[in-house]
Amino acid sequence: MSDSPIRPGSDEEWQELLRQLRHQPQAQPQAFFYTRVHARLSARQAASRAGLPGWVRRPAYAALLGALLLAVSGDGTALHAAPATAAAGQVPSALAR
Amino acid sequence: MAYSLPLLATFAEPPAPSGGAADAELVARLQQGDEAAFRTLVARFQGRVYSTAYSLLRSAEEAEDVAQEVFVEVYQTIGRFRAEAALSTWLYRLATSRALQHRRRQQARKRFAFFTSLLGFTNEVLPEPPDHSHPQALLEGAQQLQLLQLHISRLPAQQQVAFTLRHEQELSYAEIAAVLGTSVAAVESLLFRARHTLRQHLQPASHHV
Repeated sequence: MSDSPIRPGSDEEWQELLRQLRHQPQAQPQAFFYTRVHARLSARQAASRAGLPGWVRRPAYAALLGALLLAVSGDGTALHAAPATAAAGQVPSALAR
Repeated sequence: MAYSLPLLATFAEPPAPSGGAADAELVARLQQGDEAAFRTLVARFQGRVYSTAYSLLRSAEEAEDVAQEVFVEVYQTIGRFRAEAALSTWLYRLATSRALQHRRRQQARKRFAFFTSLLGFTNEVLPEPPDHSHPQALLEGAQQLQLLQLHISRLPAQQQVAFTLRHEQELSYAEIAAVLGTSVAAVESLLFRARHTLRQHLQPASHHV
């Protein structure tokens, strides 16, 4: 990269700037890139062998799933049971007669 | 998984590269589950995939993440590759779409972090990327090339990909059209607009130096 100030006002200067962009040292991954790809692939395959879909392994989705299960199971029943109990409360009063 | 660009080409293939036959053989071996072929594929394309991701993200860590993800995806989906496009075209397409996807996620995270910091949920200081676009920055020694890269990163996504593939990866118009799944005329238009925008942004600097 040249230190000379390039002013892309003219076509020549613009072309020179593009030439500098093209001839920059190309970015390269760190050494042992294949090893890291292989490790990621192995981890992904191990996770899929565990039988869980990818989205379940994300904490936010897992928490959401847990909350949904709670909502539609015991707690939901308890909420719906409350008015029923209130209605049933008339029975003891009737018995009290 | 949702893709922002089609992964398997359904358009005419650009002129075949010189290594086309070698790539076809490599694909055949990969589809048979040959792990040595996968190692060869990574060795052959890691530079191009990584540097494309780096050009779009300007972060070594993020480029590494995207490049790894691209090769994992290639391994997992190679069975669906029908060689209607060159192997390199498919890899460039994966690299650009995954890099743009990564950037969108990062931007969404930053917006969320900014929002939560406004609400006082966190005291984390949000780093802002340096902005060298003010002419004063040029007087202080910032390079025109860095300024150009900054403005490239601010181009619309399609223009940025086209410009990067043309001027950093040195792909032909036909190859860029294949990567983007569009026509050569559309690529010419994208590049014309990108160059026009970049020159407009860089032009005022010359009046102050």
